[in-house]
Amino acid sequence: MHTPITEGLTSVILLQSFTVFPEYFISISAIYVLIVIVIITYNVYGLLLHKALSECLALILLMACYLIFNDYDVLVSNTLSFHHSIINDYLTYSSKFLICLFTAFYFVLISSSLKEQKLTSFEYLLIILLSTLGLLLMCSSGDLLTAYLSIELSSLALYILAAFRKTSTYSIESGLKYFITGAVSSGFFLLGSSFLYLNSGSIYFDDFITLFERNKWSYYPNVPEEDMDPHFHLMILIYKHFHLEHLIWKPWPDGSPLIDYSFIEIGLAFIYFSLLIKIACAPFHLWSLDVYEGSPTSSSFFFAAITKLSIFVLLIRLAHTCFVASSSNWHLYFIIIGVLSIFVGSFGGLKQRKVKTLLAYSSITNMGYALVALGTLTNTAIQMLFFHLIIYMISGLCTWSIILLLRLKTKKNDNKYSKELGDIALLRKSNPALAFAFSLTMFSIAGIPPLIGFLPKMFIFLSALMMGYYMVIVASAVLSVIATFYYIRIIKVVYFENLLVGKLYYPINSNNTLLISGLIFSLIFLFFNPTLMQLLFFDILQTPSTVSFYCLTKLG
Amino acid sequence: MLTSNSLFIFFSYALVFSSIMVIVAQHPVFSLLFLVSCFIFSSFLLFLLECEFLAFLFIVVYVGAIAILFLFAIMMLESKLSNLSKNTIKYFPIGVLFSIVLLLPILNVVNTFFIDSSAISDSFYVNNYQNWYDLIDSTNDVNVYGQILYSYFALQLLIAGLILLVVLIGVVSLTNSYEKETKQQSTFRQLSRTVKIF
Repeated sequence: MHTPITEGLTSVILLQSFTVFPEYFISISAIYVLIVIVIITYNVYGLLLHKALSECLALILLMACYLIFNDYDVLVSNTLSFHHSIINDYLTYSSKFLICLFTAFYFVLISSSLKEQKLTSFEYLLIILLSTLGLLLMCSSGDLLTAYLSIELSSLALYILAAFRKTSTYSIESGLKYFITGAVSSGFFLLGSSFLYLNSGSIYFDDFITLFERNKWSYYPNVPEEDMDPHFHLMILIYKHFHLEHLIWKPWPDGSPLIDYSFIEIGLAFIYFSLLIKIACAPFHLWSLDVYEGSPTSSSFFFAAITKLSIFVLLIRLAHTCFVASSSNWHLYFIIIGVLSIFVGSFGGLKQRKVKTLLAYSSITNMGYALVALGTLTNTAIQMLFFHLIIYMISGLCTWSIILLLRLKTKKNDNKYSKELGDIALLRKSNPALAFAFSLTMFSIAGIPPLIGFLPKMFIFLSALMMGYYMVIVASAVLSVIATFYYIRIIKVVYFENLLVGKLYYPINSNNTLLISGLIFSLIFLFFNPTLMQLLFFDILQTPSTVSFYCLTKLG
Repeated sequence: MLTSNSLFIFFSYALVFSSIMVIVAQHPVFSLLFLVSCFIFSSFLLFLLECEFLAFLFIVVYVGAIAILFLFAIMMLESKLSNLSKNTIKYFPIGVLFSIVLLLPILNVVNTFFIDSSAISDSFYVNNYQNWYDLIDSTNDVNVYGQILYSYFALQLLIAGLILLVVLIGVVSLTNSYEKETKQQSTFRQLSRTVKIF
């Protein structure tokens, strides 16, 4: 005979530690939009809501931006909430803000092109919103389980987006490819997390910091080697909770690391492997070319421009915050993969005529620069990585929206599935302003000085130079020159193609024109005033890798 | 747990064997049946670890729903097996190479970290003690899962619900088609058919 527990555990979620109000708002409004639209379209078949709905979702995301901005005190309180599974620091704050803002822009930009792409059903937009929710949660996740769930939330939505045009075999094929690759990478993520759990007994990032980071600097066990408990890590956790660390730690004389990291590294290798598949770096990039080419243009716009930032935030948390003590064993692999990505991205794009594949190669090159910065692992390099990703998102928004909004005027109603470089030949004659904007964007991505694309590239090279990776810098600088060739070839096609007759395009509506010109203006303006960008990343390394993170007053 | 050491070892070897057979088996139906046996053996392992609820959940969800669904899907698809053996020979050397490269460091590290060479664990059948306090179960499995899921992991539970919502919306919109060419049964003809069983 036993009586069941009726009291239950005390709740760990208090209102003062409820730090996910923006995500809460987005998820509630997504469910609300779903219910309302199902009720509206229940009897009226074929009601086209896509334009109104996409502007409505942009409004929701802008309001989420306002919520994030308004909750500055809570979101940047450097605390952990939800039983240590949500991190609130500046990195979370600024990356969430950027993702919300850019996705709102994205919704405005795609709103007028959905009808032409035959993607008018409301589920398409709703799935993009839920995927954005996953990206936001990924930025703030403080344990491996939340990270896994948010990766799944965002990437399951992305598989659906890739396969969304049912009538096209390309789209179905790319969705299936994306799904299989993503499933393999998720499996590896789980395997790596289970290895980390096996070694440390915890899935929380702050426990990783305590176990593997802190003792590297100044402490080593106060007990002799032979008396050491086999469950040593567990003991550290228990002592930590009772504030008795001084019993087992004392300063380490020569600063050499205490823990054997070889088991951690196997787990970390699997996790990095899965995350690098998700961001499509060079040995793992083969899915991305087919997926970007095959899926509808607005979907590949989302894959290329929006989704990369939050995975990099997770990588920064793992590589720079939790496991920097073991970095001497794996940071070189990041640099090798980075240089390889730059190589593949530069040479792969040379003979490419399809615009979307070309932009996929360009994205691989940019991820290569970001990985070089991540492999350098100094504080400046991580800040410059964040800078580079912001600029990548802005220029990605410009390029992809221009590609998306150029609609050819043709006699018959045969819209080609994907654009080629010949479709934008002599854009200068039919739409000079757009041609100028497009060439400015290309110059910025290529890194020509009076545009913002130059600065993050130069700072990444400088921070690698400070660590003494000379060959890396020489190789990536030479390869970036090669990559410049195909950016400038696009400009040549737009301006100087040797044709008598160009093509005619439908005009772009005024909303999109305003937004694109604002983004293009920011490309020039930020070069002369880069301190504005500084606001977004000056503080992103404040909490991690310092002891202050450890002695925080933890909410909840 | 130590009393069930021999059973544990037996089921682990059976699990490894059947998971190898999933890949090696040529016919997809056979490999799927080995997958089912994989799930059953792993649920036995969970049972020996005293996670009864998870063990039953494994059988109900994976064997009862997912594997049977796969089985129907495979039986309906037309399978072409002629090229399979050719591909196996082609990919065999590189596959073995990569698996060795992956497996060796893992085994090496597991050896160094998790070998407990005390006399107790070396003996095959352990002269174990019974902790009487453990026998008085103050609560059961499901109760504990509920307590933890709804308090510590409430956020994760909500995210899992949102994942299900995304998949639901996606599946409905990907498979539903309103066009005329799709074969849909007309309800009137379906109901007005005469019964041919008897």
